[in-house]
Amino acid sequence: MYISTVDFCACGGCLNSLLYIGEPLVSLLSEHTVSFSSLLADRRNISPSDVVLATGGIRNMEELDIAREVSRTGRKVIAIGSCAVHGGIPGMAPLNDEMGTSGEERELPELLDEVEPLDSSMDITLYVPGCPPTPEVIFEALKSVLEGYTPIHYDGTVCSDCIRRVEMKPVKAWSAHPGTGLPAGSCLLSHGRLCLGPITRGGCRAVCPSMGSICIGCRGPSDMVLSSQLHSMHSDMVKFVSLSTGIKKDRVEKLLGEMLESVHLFTRCDPVIRSKANEKITTG
Amino acid sequence: MIDQEEFSGQKINIYPVTRIQGRADIEVLFTPNQEVSEARFRALEFRGFERLVLGLNAFAAPQVLSRICGSCGPFHQIVACKAIEDAAGCEVPPAARKFRELLCWLLIASDDLFNMTYLALPDYALPLSDPAVRNVTGLYKVEREAVSRLTLLRSAFHEALVHLAGFPVHPSVVVPGGVSYLPDADALDTALRMLNGCEDDLDETIRLVAMLTKRNSEMMDTGEPISGYYAAVTSDGHTDPLGDSVTVSPFGEGESFTVPHDRFFGLLRDEPVSWSYAVPVSIKGLATTLVGTMARANIGFVSDTPRADQKLKECRKRLGDPFDREFLYFPALALEVAHTWEKARFLLKDTSLFEGEAVRIPETSPSGGSAVVDAPRGVLAHRVSLERDGKIAAYRIISPLQINLSSINECLSRVARKVVSGLEVTDQIAQMLQRTVRAFSPCVPCGTH
Repeated sequence: MYISTVDFCACGGCLNSLLYIGEPLVSLLSEHTVSFSSLLADRRNISPSDVVLATGGIRNMEELDIAREVSRTGRKVIAIGSCAVHGGIPGMAPLNDEMGTSGEERELPELLDEVEPLDSSMDITLYVPGCPPTPEVIFEALKSVLEGYTPIHYDGTVCSDCIRRVEMKPVKAWSAHPGTGLPAGSCLLSHGRLCLGPITRGGCRAVCPSMGSICIGCRGPSDMVLSSQLHSMHSDMVKFVSLSTGIKKDRVEKLLGEMLESVHLFTRCDPVIRSKANEKITTG
Repeated sequence: MIDQEEFSGQKINIYPVTRIQGRADIEVLFTPNQEVSEARFRALEFRGFERLVLGLNAFAAPQVLSRICGSCGPFHQIVACKAIEDAAGCEVPPAARKFRELLCWLLIASDDLFNMTYLALPDYALPLSDPAVRNVTGLYKVEREAVSRLTLLRSAFHEALVHLAGFPVHPSVVVPGGVSYLPDADALDTALRMLNGCEDDLDETIRLVAMLTKRNSEMMDTGEPISGYYAAVTSDGHTDPLGDSVTVSPFGEGESFTVPHDRFFGLLRDEPVSWSYAVPVSIKGLATTLVGTMARANIGFVSDTPRADQKLKECRKRLGDPFDREFLYFPALALEVAHTWEKARFLLKDTSLFEGEAVRIPETSPSGGSAVVDAPRGVLAHRVSLERDGKIAAYRIISPLQINLSSINECLSRVARKVVSGLEVTDQIAQMLQRTVRAFSPCVPCGTH
């Protein structure tokens, strides 16, 4: 089969993550043909591919053109990483077209007003969120599409994998500092840290909380959040903080204030998340 | 093969530049007489992190800033933490400082091996092959052992990082004021065993790299040395990724000088261009300065890594002192891996280094701070201004690619004048131009941030 990798507005971390698979990946790729990959191969044109590993969101006109080309030539596209799936951190805020240059006459691709997730421009066969997804998850996604089977869908949250346990106690002071220096044991919410584990899709082995740092929601919303209009990242997070601390929901909202905006760090420009009822997203 | 649509009698684009991190092209400009006037490396992607973090709580910023780059992300995170700590006057606990240093060595090795295996090796092992097979999978079919050894070596560093930091691409363990946890003796011991297990692969890799470099040196040498200066982050004159100063030395005649990190930004000058999202930056008005692995090898490793030091001395004796030819970046990468291997093992053996306090949470106030680190691709600097409530009022990032851009374009122009004649840019010529770019290990996501 023909395999290609295409980077849009991306940091390169997703493909870097995949390459940590090492020899098994190289062996798999050498059984097929890499038809285009500016990172791995010297071919210059995006040519027809059976499987496209696409990373990053769409940020400028050149990337929009590339997306149209991929849509035309790629049979199955795997959207890898939270930028490709939700727009990611580059979508945190709208930018303007004057950024990044000297203001002289521009010889560069024109910027779009906002970052767009990939499915705004092409059909996606498989979504693999994460910033980045683990090497094993990306490798499994690639193999599943090459071999035609359905990969395991992880519908739990980060909390499902976490070894920390909730201590039901009220928290008086909340801190935006991400790391406690505390050994594994009790839930970071119980220590006044806004860990987004309860609303974030799991499958990452809860690696951040297990090392004393909060989950910042890099794998995007869990199925539970996405499943109903009665759920949103904001309202669910308030509910879970309330449940784990015994503090009433309206008080939680007041105590956390602007800190709650962090629930949309990776999804602010995702039209699905944005359109959900009761979402509190500021786009300014 | 080469996109000639843009050609209007004045320029040719080689798009995309392959086997580099990020999306870029090479533009060759011609005089009206169809002679090459210059060639330039253009970064074509942009995300705007300096703007994105404005108004963000400073404590949340390092994890956001780590998303600038999938290779150097942890270094953006570390330098952002250091800049915030500098602004807050916060001193990091000694154990946290050591843990950060350990992560730096492992991460530099991991990126160097990524660079060697997937980006550089095809140039050295298959220099004259068809572009369709000149890549790691083509190489795997004919030289399986070499690829296998390099990937195993990288896996050893990766596994060590997984045991210590969870995941190496955007790890969350480095936080303002220290680290979110300190590894226990078991994790340190496992990481040490990972590194001990790859000693033979490391020796064989260095031997392979030396052999390939020697075999290809004549063909790859572009005829003239890199000119100007080279720079690295240092402590007491030796390279140190977490050092507190930057040392700048000339390739030829001239004086070296060292500046403390808080004065470094004062020496930088933006030289924006309309044709690239990466803004070139010069140091103290110097025309060109090289940063990255080759610069670090030239500044010199610290003296507590005898094996790497010895190999570096041998290499310099054989290939030139200082390293001033583009093709020498490949052995420089291998020597740096040997150096980091020794440094990491040295730290891992002493578990007492990692006992004590993990983090001292900084108290933010309206203030400013700056910091430098030596990321795998070179000197990386961040500067932050904080508001009263700890939010970010202004942010500035200087990346290795920005500092290297003038050197890259100077070398590219030199090579283009030598090999490009008119419209006919064959694959071989395109390959020579791209090889020149790869020698500087450009990281476009960092460069345009």
